[in-house]
Amino acid sequence: MILLDHVTKIYPGDKKPALDDVSLHIEPNEFVFLVGKSGAGKSTLMKMITKEENPDVGKIIIGGIDLDYVRRRHIPHYRRRLGVVFQDFKLLPRRTVYENVAFALEIAGMSSREIRRTVPKVLDLVDLSDQAHKFPAQLSGGQQQRVSIARSVARQPKILIADEPTGNLDKLTRAEIISLLQKINDFGTTVLVTTHDEAIVNNLNKRVVTLKNGKIVADQKEHGIYRLDEEKIPTSPSPASEIKINTKPIVSSAKSRSPKKEKK
Amino acid sequence: MPSATKKVTKKHLKTLTKNSKRKSFRNVSRIVKYGTINFGRNIWLSTAATLVMTLTLIVLSITLVATLVLSETADAMKNRIDITLFFKPETSAETLEELKNTMLADSNVKSAEVKTSEEEYQNFLQENADNSLLIETLEDPEMNMRETMISTMQSTMRLKVYDPDNLDSIKNIVASDLLFVKNLDTTEEPTYDVNSSEIATITRWAKIAKTGGLVLSIVFLVISVLVIFNTIRMAIFSRREEIYMMKLVGADRGFIRGPFLVEAQLSGVVSGLLSFGLAYAGFRFLEPRLANYGISVATVSNILDSNKIVYVVLTMILAGMLIGTISARLAVHKYMRSATK
Repeated sequence: MILLDHVTKIYPGDKKPALDDVSLHIEPNEFVFLVGKSGAGKSTLMKMITKEENPDVGKIIIGGIDLDYVRRRHIPHYRRRLGVVFQDFKLLPRRTVYENVAFALEIAGMSSREIRRTVPKVLDLVDLSDQAHKFPAQLSGGQQQRVSIARSVARQPKILIADEPTGNLDKLTRAEIISLLQKINDFGTTVLVTTHDEAIVNNLNKRVVTLKNGKIVADQKEHGIYRLDEEKIPTSPSPASEIKINTKPIVSSAKSRSPKKEKK
Repeated sequence: MPSATKKVTKKHLKTLTKNSKRKSFRNVSRIVKYGTINFGRNIWLSTAATLVMTLTLIVLSITLVATLVLSETADAMKNRIDITLFFKPETSAETLEELKNTMLADSNVKSAEVKTSEEEYQNFLQENADNSLLIETLEDPEMNMRETMISTMQSTMRLKVYDPDNLDSIKNIVASDLLFVKNLDTTEEPTYDVNSSEIATITRWAKIAKTGGLVLSIVFLVISVLVIFNTIRMAIFSRREEIYMMKLVGADRGFIRGPFLVEAQLSGVVSGLLSFGLAYAGFRFLEPRLANYGISVATVSNILDSNKIVYVVLTMILAGMLIGTISARLAVHKYMRSATK
């Protein structure tokens, strides 16, 4: 579902790569935590998936789409297939909860009738039906994040990526949000979550990918725990070999960029 | 890249853009909706932009009307004047015909009319038809006045010209053509200069109105483009967070930029209507006063009285929308990307 193959990214002006030869394969319907200190490359990885940034080397294939082939005018269409959740919610401040969710469907060109049918369902899913006509500023942080999740799943994306979704929330609401993400994962959506939150990661026993200095230093397939010190991690099979098995059948010439390189 | 992945990617890209026609209509109506909402939300900025644009359109229409009215007035006055050449009384009708043809060959001559001295005499009689004493005296066979009159009255040629400012070619014919030199009555100068100073004044005013108005229009055009440009720029900056969010949830270019264009075009429509209303009222107010001064307002009032008024309104609205679109496009083009990076 999400495949990064030997991806390297160096931001202009930096000597050290933000991502250094990263290979990662996430299967459909997986729930994966991406952990690491700030500056480890989590955000860069997320931006690669949303195609805000392009890799310098390597290939990214998301849900069967080779991102090299997604031209700039296709990017909006591509993004509509992703659900994206942010730490700071990124809701439209002058629109109500209902309108925020409806907006994501409007830009996808859904008919008004379908929108009227879909939005209440989604708001029901995140348990915000009674807040539909409030503005974001009138809601608590947890509620705002639930609106943002509702917006991102309204189009029923196959993939949901969440960048520090619990970063601005208190302990109780964090658990709430995570269980909501789990619920979405149970419906069949692949979920990728970056987080700092040790407790959440350790309680959930999901796959945990640890980034450090732009490299994947650990990939615990199950019962992953949050440890940034890689030596203490009880390693499951070596991440590198695991990835090679997964990528080989799909991508043969890994490091060559596609000829139709996007114009910058 | 293996062809399998390539195929899958291509298939996906196709489905991504499928059904785009029905969707695009939906999108356009949504873009218009959001543009209208934004116009209302930024009502103060929108008002400023609209007013400047209105001013521009008014200056433009004043220029247009003034140029039209003044040049028409000048034309009317040019038509009224003629140049008269005087020939010796004994010049025969055939010679006059020949002289006329020589004159008509000149490209500046619109028409020429010749009268022999006898015809001139008849004309004189007609003009004084109510003076019976004079006519009786002249026509008295015993006094033989008639013959005397005809033998002293000059034959004439009356010319109408296209360009009264440029009579050199005509003067040249009069001075150098042998037939003219031979037959001209030198006791009376040809009348070249009647009214010409007045016409020159009006022609000059028409030119001033044209160039001055053009310059002023351009100045105002630039100002209004700048104001709208800045309005949109400010709107982009104040909404850059929002624009970034829209991009991330997959809004495409048109959906993000469209509302800004709609906003500026709305300003254009409002100012088109407003400026037409003001210009119309102004013209109607001045119309009788101008007519009193002998200025021809007929063409303009005819347009305003006929169905053509619809085109005038539409043109002004379109002009407003054009100004709005151009300036908004400039601003969006220049700032959209940098604002959201």
